[in-house]
Amino acid sequence: MNPGVEIRALTKNFVLTRWSGFRRRVSEIVAVDGINLDVPAGQSVALIGPNGAGKSTTIKMLTGILHPTSGEASVLGFIPWRDRRKLAYSVGAVFGQRSQLWYHLPPGDTFELLARVYNIKRLEFIRTRDLLIDRFNLGPFMQTPVRKLSLGQRMRAEVAASLLHRPKIMFLDEPTIGLDVIARQELRDLIREWNRNDGTTVVLTSHDAGDIEHVAERVIVVNHGQVVVDGPVDAVRRKYLGSKILRVQFHGTPTRIAIAGVTSLSDSEYEWKMQVDTTITPVSEVTAAVLGAGAVADIAIEDPPLEEVIARIYSEGGKEESS
Amino acid sequence: MRSAARYGWIGYTAARSNMAYRGEVLFRSSFLAVILYIFMRLWTVVFAESKDSRIAGLSLPQMLWYLVITEAVFLSSPRIWAEVDQDVRTGRLAVQLIRPLSYVAEHLSRAMGERIVRFAINLLIGSIVALVLVGPIPMSISGLAMFAVVLPVAFVLDFFGMFLVGLSAFWLESAAGVALIYMRCVMLFGGMFLPLEIYPDALQPALHVLPFASMLSAPGRMFVDPSFALLKESLMRQGVAVVGYAGLVFLVQLVAFRRLFTNGG
Repeated sequence: MNPGVEIRALTKNFVLTRWSGFRRRVSEIVAVDGINLDVPAGQSVALIGPNGAGKSTTIKMLTGILHPTSGEASVLGFIPWRDRRKLAYSVGAVFGQRSQLWYHLPPGDTFELLARVYNIKRLEFIRTRDLLIDRFNLGPFMQTPVRKLSLGQRMRAEVAASLLHRPKIMFLDEPTIGLDVIARQELRDLIREWNRNDGTTVVLTSHDAGDIEHVAERVIVVNHGQVVVDGPVDAVRRKYLGSKILRVQFHGTPTRIAIAGVTSLSDSEYEWKMQVDTTITPVSEVTAAVLGAGAVADIAIEDPPLEEVIARIYSEGGKEESS
Repeated sequence: MRSAARYGWIGYTAARSNMAYRGEVLFRSSFLAVILYIFMRLWTVVFAESKDSRIAGLSLPQMLWYLVITEAVFLSSPRIWAEVDQDVRTGRLAVQLIRPLSYVAEHLSRAMGERIVRFAINLLIGSIVALVLVGPIPMSISGLAMFAVVLPVAFVLDFFGMFLVGLSAFWLESAAGVALIYMRCVMLFGGMFLPLEIYPDALQPALHVLPFASMLSAPGRMFVDPSFALLKESLMRQGVAVVGYAGLVFLVQLVAFRRLFTNGG
């Protein structure tokens, strides 16, 4: 069993230099503020927070790219910033907007190259490659240049490429960004399946609540460089994602309705936008009532935006543990 | 050994990937044909006006073949500076460092793979043009072997120069300005259009000491007028230039990466 991730009082301050005329002004920004975390091997964790919260800085320290100002961290038993090269053999990374596939060559060629980069034994490489081709359904486009693939196909190949050396820990940064609903769901299932079957520790960052709910078993909310919420996804969802946004458009003027747990967000003659507290009234009941209120032209049920959930976490008292 | 195979495969993959740019490479090479034709006309007039059958120690056919080599080398240079500049400015550098590879060695392998394809096509087109316009020049196996020794060192040297230009993105908004000036220096002081021997005598020592001569003039001269004395002299200058450039790359990268490790991508 590999040791996973251990973080103790990890802090990172950035020094910012600004020139005002001929005067140099130096200020310090606290990006990560004494984080303590333990991620056991094989766990799937979502590290979330608004832009500038300290997620990327934390991940960069865990992959050894950034040196901390103070504190300690251990990833798979290695000190990342000291043992970056050694750790690299056990780490996989997918950054949604930065590809590691060769654009003009088929994915198979990148796989061949990665086999050499990670010193994978030939038989082991063929076995893992074939397994990934099968699981990620890459067969139909393994010999097609990457530039001709759809974004969904490319991202499947991207994730598969990062798993080729069977990393013990995977860092996924916005892996589903830009994907359509089906491709997004497919990719989430594949990551989850690999985490379960192969025991790979997954650290995911995403602004998509769906990614978090489908891939992660634990969610860590970071803001202002601190861990604000840390707990199982189910518990956090019940507590903070227990609402849905309902958007309805009518052909004519609807009859007014009043339902417990429903708050109007915006209201015009032909369109309603409301927040449904699903712990009070299930969204199916509200939908049925809305359908009876008038001739519905369009209806959409959405999760509240993640930023809203985070904002709510703050409004409910800052630091707390859900677990 | 494993490491050599790994970087060798990166070069091989880059060469294969570059074959996808056949259209672009052919377009650039057709530009080479135009340049060579213009210079051929120019040098024909210059040689006709001159009383000597040789200028800077080269005959008219040698002059055109010299241009074939220097142009083929210069035009085959990959845009390393732009890649490094992008890596730094977009934060892609951080992603690359997660892999168990040396950042410089990976780029060197890619550049070599890409360059071999481009140079081969340039040389092919340039040779056809030169054969049609001035015919062949005397060549020997030993001469070609000496050229084959000097050429890769010139490529490595050019890589280090371009890589250094790219690293300037750590301190500047964009490396494009530095790249423009640097490439003009290589063209002018490397002997791309004119053999260095044509420049005023007072400039000769400085021009031969600068690393640019080792990138263009050295392989060009070695192709048209090879000798062991020239090989010895070229390798010595190239060796000093490679050590100097590599040292600079090491130092600049050390400072730049320290900045990265402290301030992020």
